[in-house]
Parts: sequence; structure tokens; C-alpha cells
Amino acid sequence: MKWFRFSMLILAATIIGSSDLMNAISVTDSFIKPNLLLILLVYFAISCETYDAIICCFSIGLAADITGTLIGPYFLSYGIIGTALNYIRKIIILKKTGQQAFAIFITGLVVQLVAVILMKMKISTVTNAGFFIVFATSMYSAILWFLLKIPVVTLGKWLGVGVHRFGVRMEERT
Amino acid sequence: MARTKFKPSKLTLFIGFLLTGIIFLLLPQNVTSKVNFAFIDIFDYFLNMGSAAQKPRPNESGEVVSKEEYLRLQTAYANLDQQYLDLKKQFDILSKVRLTEPDPSTGLVVAKIVNRKDHQLIINRGSKDGLAAGQYVLGDNAVIGLIEQVADDISSVLLITSTNCKLPIKISAPEIKSYFNGTIQGNGKTGAKIGNIPQKYKIKSGSNVYAAERSGLLASSRIIGKISKCKLGAKSAIVWDIEVKPMYDFENITYVAIVVIKTPEFR
Repeated sequence: MKWFRFSMLILAATIIGSSDLMNAISVTDSFIKPNLLLILLVYFAISCETYDAIICCFSIGLAADITGTLIGPYFLSYGIIGTALNYIRKIIILKKTGQQAFAIFITGLVVQLVAVILMKMKISTVTNAGFFIVFATSMYSAILWFLLKIPVVTLGKWLGVGVHRFGVRMEERT
Repeated sequence: MARTKFKPSKLTLFIGFLLTGIIFLLLPQNVTSKVNFAFIDIFDYFLNMGSAAQKPRPNESGEVVSKEEYLRLQTAYANLDQQYLDLKKQFDILSKVRLTEPDPSTGLVVAKIVNRKDHQLIINRGSKDGLAAGQYVLGDNAVIGLIEQVADDISSVLLITSTNCKLPIKISAPEIKSYFNGTIQGNGKTGAKIGNIPQKYKIKSGSNVYAAERSGLLASSRIIGKISKCKLGAKSAIVWDIEVKPMYDFENITYVAIVVIKTPEFR
């Protein structure tokens, strides 16, 4: 895994995801936008080795926190749920695009739920998005995965996702 | 001497991140928010790319408010937002009541129910708001009781189900396009009863029961409920024993409106 490239990618996704450019692809009056970091979280969680996946998930969580108002809730929720997804991947092979899209949808809901609970622990007056917004954002992200899969996988290869430090892919080693 | 590269185990790494997250979570928001502000400051241009915020604004002189001022304004905004929601709620309630109360001299005071007792409600309005004993109390457009006791900021409402609550009423008789007058009294349970209506009047179950208008208290008749049972009196067969079911379940009402008639000022 090439960590410098990874950090550049996450930074770019964070900036694009929280910029007004995303309004161009927003839908409905509630400005439902896809969550790029959520898509990347699921991709790295199901594609990386556990060790790398832990680092990736917590890093993406930190990126999600930086664009908000609190540091910590998304760091923990993305990290914990992403790591859990990495272990689930060992039991249920999420190879088909539809399965991965479903994983994005479910992960989006669970990550938000955990984050809201953690936010409430920190400040009681937090205003969180309604269930419909969370549901719609997760759904939109899951649908977008069908379009973004090829570019994201290409970027993943550029980052060395799944490539062992001696140049052997995970699948090839097993 | 070969340098050994530190590489923690997966578990150590996970626990390390977990503890870091907990520390982040425990840190005060004014400390962690510096990171958020730093990110916005650094990538401000990219974050506003393509938005109206990127265009130069007339009041954009590079001035920023201090964090204390920002927090003060944010707090004020949160309070105003809450006040707006409360007022909107009151407006919705009043507009619904006003639809059926066209008399402009009728003032309505919306009050929140703060406590409930047996056949009694405690509301958060009092004499300061123009409330007085005997005034009619509406819940979702139906008369639900009378003001019983009034203090400066708090009052009690005697529900029509209370045996202590007596009101002049009218029973609708659409067949003859008329009304039968009588008096309603709570039965101490979940309804009320009407006595002393002579048997010669044709009263039917399902007829509407209205609170009769009273000078200075109620400008026009307002519904109380419907007749649920109508049978010949047990004590005297020449009068009806009438039971009335209120229009609404009092348990579901959270706000009430008190009818306050404005007396005209003579000069």
C-alpha cells in the first residue's frame, strides 16, 4: 500500500465530497448527495488486508470528522464498522458489484447510527440529519458504486491495494 | 547495526486507534474545532469552488469575528431557531382554532399542558395572560373544560368529565332545525351526563352537544361531544338520562386554547 498516494486520494475525496461541486449531482430539495468517503471506506475495507484496512478505515473516519464540527465520532464509527466489514468479508465474499453496493448502503446506515450516538455523548444539542437523509444518501452512494467501481478499482491498483510488499497480490498468495 | 522497524500487531493497532478516537471524543469541542477551522481555512477556495460564496461580496473586507463572538452568535441563533419553532407551533394551533371562530372579539390564548391530574389539567398561562376563572378552554376546537383557578403564570382547567363542572348546553335536533337547552355535568369517569331533559323532546344517540354561548365568556356555540347513550330516566320516566362522549381523548391533547373575550372600550 502506497500511503502517500492514499493520503492524497483521501484528501481529494474529502475536499470534493464537502465542496459545492457535489451540488451539481445532488437530488431532491434536500440536496441528497453521495458520500464519497463511505464508498472508499467500503472499498478499502473489503479489498485490503486487515492491517491496512484498519489504518484506511480510521483515516477515512478522521477525514469525515475534519469536514464536520466534531472530531472523534466518525473516526470511531468508520474505524470500527470498517474493521468489522473487513472481518465480515472473510465470511461473506463481497465480490459482485450488487453485493458491494448493498454493503455500502448498510454500512452508510450503521456508520451514521454509531456516529450519532457518539455525538450525543459529546454534546447533547447536536442536530443530526433525519433518517430519510441518511437513508437516501446511503442509497445514492450505493447506486453510484455501479458507476464508480471501475475508476475506484483502477485507483486502488495505483495505490497498491491488495498488493503485498513483495509485489504478490493477496489472491495470488492464497 | 540493523534498524528494527516497529510494526504493531493488528489488535494493538486497532486498540491504539480506538483509544485515540476516545481521546478525540473526550477532548473539549473548542480544542478539536481548531482542526476543523484549520481545514476550512486551508481549503477554503476548493470547498467554495463553483458556489456563490466564491464571488466577491460587498461586505467581504477580510474581517473575521472572534471565536467567542462566533459561539455567542451561534448560541443566539440556536435559541432564536427554537423560539421560531415554538411560535410556528402556536401559530398552527391558533390558525386551526381561528378557522371555526370567526368572531374578531374572541381572543385566544394558547397554553401548554404542564401537568395532568384527575379531571384537571395544569397549564402554563395565568392572569398575566388575561386568564380568569370560568373562561372556556378549547382543545382541538372542542370545549374541554373551564378555567378553575388562576395564578400569575399558571392555571388549572376543570375538565368537563369532572362532577364539579357544570355548563349550559344545546343539543342539536336537525330534524326540526332547532336545539334543546340543558345543563351538562361530568360523570366523574370519561364522559358527562345531561339530566332533566323532558321525554317529549326527541333526543337521539349521536346528536351533537354544544356549549351554549354565554355573554363575556363564549361568543358562539362550540361543540363538546356527542350523545353516546340516551334512555329513559331511572328515577323518573318523564326525563331522559343522557350520556355524552367528549369529542377528543384528553390524554392526546398537549396544547389548549383559552377563549378570552375582549370587552369593547368605550371612550
